[in-house]
Amino acid sequence: MLVLRRKIGQVIRINDDIRIIIQDVQNEHIVRIGIEAPKDVPVHRLEIYNLIQQENRSAGGADALKWLKGVSDDSSSGGTEEHHD
Amino acid sequence: MTAVQAVQKSIMTEAEPDHGGAFHFPQGMAGFSDACDYGFIYQGHGDIVCIQSTDHPEAAFLLTQWDEQRLGSVPTLPVELCQCIHANNQEQIMWMLVLNPFADHAWVTANVKAPVALNIEARMGLQYIRQERELDIRYHWQRQPS
Repeated sequence: MLVLRRKIGQVIRINDDIRIIIQDVQNEHIVRIGIEAPKDVPVHRLEIYNLIQQENRSAGGADALKWLKGVSDDSSSGGTEEHHD
Repeated sequence: MTAVQAVQKSIMTEAEPDHGGAFHFPQGMAGFSDACDYGFIYQGHGDIVCIQSTDHPEAAFLLTQWDEQRLGSVPTLPVELCQCIHANNQEQIMWMLVLNPFADHAWVTANVKAPVALNIEARMGLQYIRQERELDIRYHWQRQPS
């Protein structure tokens, strides 16, 4: 991992189009940073992104369409729905 | 016309993903960032549709429309993300929820924290991770079909 020391107001540039600006340090523990990136580059807090990523993986996949087909078949035939873990 | 009816009318097929009319998700979906183009599949079951990546078929999600009666007003998409899906204003955006039928035996859950914004006209979409802290990732949406 690359580790850099930066002062407030200084900038880190990644490629030609991403700028990270150190804006403030509060209580010696909280760093406020500004991020400028292209609109198609998602920028998220890691812990939140990880939660959404896990949920998408749980919710998504080939089983999603199978489930929907099963529901549709059952609703048209009056059968019962299989449950997934 | 409801949101889902509008979607059904404009973007769905009944059996296979509509590759020709694929929706482009510039950011992909969280955890599936390489899957950026999705076709819509409607199986004829209520308000639930399936989106499936046209080149990464393992990326498939169930979506349903945002329900203002239950959830309140639709989210407001930040301007820079509106630009990302070529939306000039909030009215152009159709909000959908990602459903998870596998997380709970009794309930199909909905991810209110990270809904999907669609610009049907531009055929673009994105998953918007909302900043508010008190939002359910597994909101009890509907009982499992029985």
